[in-house]
Amino acid sequence: MIEAIGFLWPSFLVAVCLVGIHAYFGIKILARNVIFVDLALAQIAALGATVAFMLGHPAQSLATYGYSLTFTLLAAVLLAFTRTWATRVPQEALIGVIYVVAAAASILLIDRAPQGAEHLKQILTGNILTSGLGEVATIVPLYLAVALVHFLLRHRLAQSGSVFWEFVFYATFGMVVTSSVALAGVLLVFSFLIIPASIGVMFASTLPRQLAIGWIAGVLTSAVGFAASFAFDLPTGAAIVCAFGVALALAGLVYPFVRGNHFVALGITVRAVRWGVAALIAGSAIQLAVTPRADLPLIDMLEHAAPTFRNLYFTMAEAAAYQDASEYAERHRLAAEQLIEQERRSRTQGEALDEAAMQRISSFLKSYAEMRRGEQFVMSEVRARARERVRWSVSLGLLAVALLLAPLPWRRLWARLPR
Amino acid sequence: MGQTAPARAQERIRVVTTTTDLRSLTEAVGGDLVDAVSLVPANFDAEEYQPKPQDVLRLKDARLVVRVGLDYDLWFDRLLEATAARELRRGGPGYVDASWGIAPLEVRGVTVGPGDGHAHGSGNPHYWLDPKNANFITANILEGLARIDPANAKTYEANRQAFLARLSAKLTEWETRLAPLRSMPLIAYHNSWPYFARRFRLDFVDFLEAKPGVPPTPSHLAGIIEAMRTHGARMVVREPYEPERDVAFLAAKADASVVVLAASVGALPGTGDYLSLFDTDVAALVDAAAAR
Repeated sequence: MIEAIGFLWPSFLVAVCLVGIHAYFGIKILARNVIFVDLALAQIAALGATVAFMLGHPAQSLATYGYSLTFTLLAAVLLAFTRTWATRVPQEALIGVIYVVAAAASILLIDRAPQGAEHLKQILTGNILTSGLGEVATIVPLYLAVALVHFLLRHRLAQSGSVFWEFVFYATFGMVVTSSVALAGVLLVFSFLIIPASIGVMFASTLPRQLAIGWIAGVLTSAVGFAASFAFDLPTGAAIVCAFGVALALAGLVYPFVRGNHFVALGITVRAVRWGVAALIAGSAIQLAVTPRADLPLIDMLEHAAPTFRNLYFTMAEAAAYQDASEYAERHRLAAEQLIEQERRSRTQGEALDEAAMQRISSFLKSYAEMRRGEQFVMSEVRARARERVRWSVSLGLLAVALLLAPLPWRRLWARLPR
Repeated sequence: MGQTAPARAQERIRVVTTTTDLRSLTEAVGGDLVDAVSLVPANFDAEEYQPKPQDVLRLKDARLVVRVGLDYDLWFDRLLEATAARELRRGGPGYVDASWGIAPLEVRGVTVGPGDGHAHGSGNPHYWLDPKNANFITANILEGLARIDPANAKTYEANRQAFLARLSAKLTEWETRLAPLRSMPLIAYHNSWPYFARRFRLDFVDFLEAKPGVPPTPSHLAGIIEAMRTHGARMVVREPYEPERDVAFLAAKADASVVVLAASVGALPGTGDYLSLFDTDVAALVDAAAAR
């Protein structure tokens, strides 16, 4: 545990640095309405690195970085012009084209190179978990320099129109994105860029306030993502991205309470939740009646969370058969795992197993897998039959619950009934 | 003479294999009588290969196909189904699943590929990395070649025996060279090495990427570093196409060195055929162990 925290904090520090610069660029990007420009620039940088690679330069060399930078700057020139070109075709469409063509061109190049696919993967799928203080030392000066340029030129950069200042914007942004994508990967960088900025823009209208809100939200959410990744044993980058998604959803939920009439907002929320739950239940009811043997997501989830829920509609015999099969399936799984472990140990310990013994272990393993699948088939069959048996009564009951939950004006309907 | 050489090349039996390892073994059995090509280039992740238009042309001329099986080259089923002649498809005379007869290790589930009625486990598919399994693989290839070219069956059998004799001599040499590494704890990026480990009695303690394509979680990474310290693992094995940075990070954390090993023919310079693949890997391991 201490070990994990020991190498989590440097990568958390990297995340803080990334939030710092990306929240700022995100606000600018949102204002310019060029959401996917980071993907296009990252892909262009990867294309540059690929070209360097094809010419025989090693991955981490200065030449490779030079190629990446040159390609990024060229792309910045293109991007600076896209706004003036985008009269009938939206700018975002041109950016999309830059992205797909750069991606496809790298695939074509890579296809000609031995050991190429790995190279492209390295550039576009960074892993924040294995980044550390060394990376912080390289990105902090770069980000500070970019921030300084933007601070000094803030009035120039704010007024749009001039192709040159657009170029400066995209060039600096390209340098930032190129380094961050290699560190944290495309998904995470996109989240760092867009989500804190969106939350900031949602709740404030001046840049300093937007930035402050974005930074706080970004750092807190990253911390939650790291914590979740550690506590629930999840891949870190993906956990942080999902945490950012949840953060944006929460911000969206909080927004009407902060910005509008609290009571109206509360009323709307309650109605929306009631409609949502009622629709879910009614959907499950109809699905159960029509296809009782299919996967029923809502009921399956309930049963997964609380297995005793099954006892509500299983007969005693069904429950016993289900339990039995599930125990056997687990027993077969454990037996197979034990055998695999035993074989693994025999690779280095004691006498080496001969071919006949290996064949026996192997066929035992196959049999365990088959038997386990058989038990799982029994489980799903028992469940399907139980559901078929209760399909009409339960789906009618569920429909009634859904109707009661739905915020229909029952009282008015009742009053209107002819007596 | 100048005229006959291309004419002979025309008559050679075209064999399409999925990987370079199977190509090398097919050449060992077929000798001059076959012209083998592999679809997946050296150093590409064969599990994620996407067939190209040229592959369809290659299959068109082929009389025999040889695949790894064990769910390793699942994309091959669709390619065969879509483009190949009936004889080359699963069950046809020109179809060889090289894994037939192999005892797969670490069988955890049942195959997800199209079945042929038999219960197939989906064990670890990297079985060619045990040189003794070449015995089964070449036997399967021999059977396939003899089926479509019975006239030359004797030659194929002789080729195979000669190859196996050479392999057996080499195997003794490799085992002797790797003997000092016996039970030396190793870490690998991906679990490609169980067959290799079993043959040479190496101890792969843990893997960075437990599931293909899913980056490691913090506690998994912490667990590996912990394991490296307790077992005294000082070497991390990486294949050339696997991420350099993650492995370097781990090596730096636990003061270990990185060894790049080829899991397939052609993945590293000097691994031109099946025998030199092991020559190179054994040398890399021995050198890395000596440098510690």
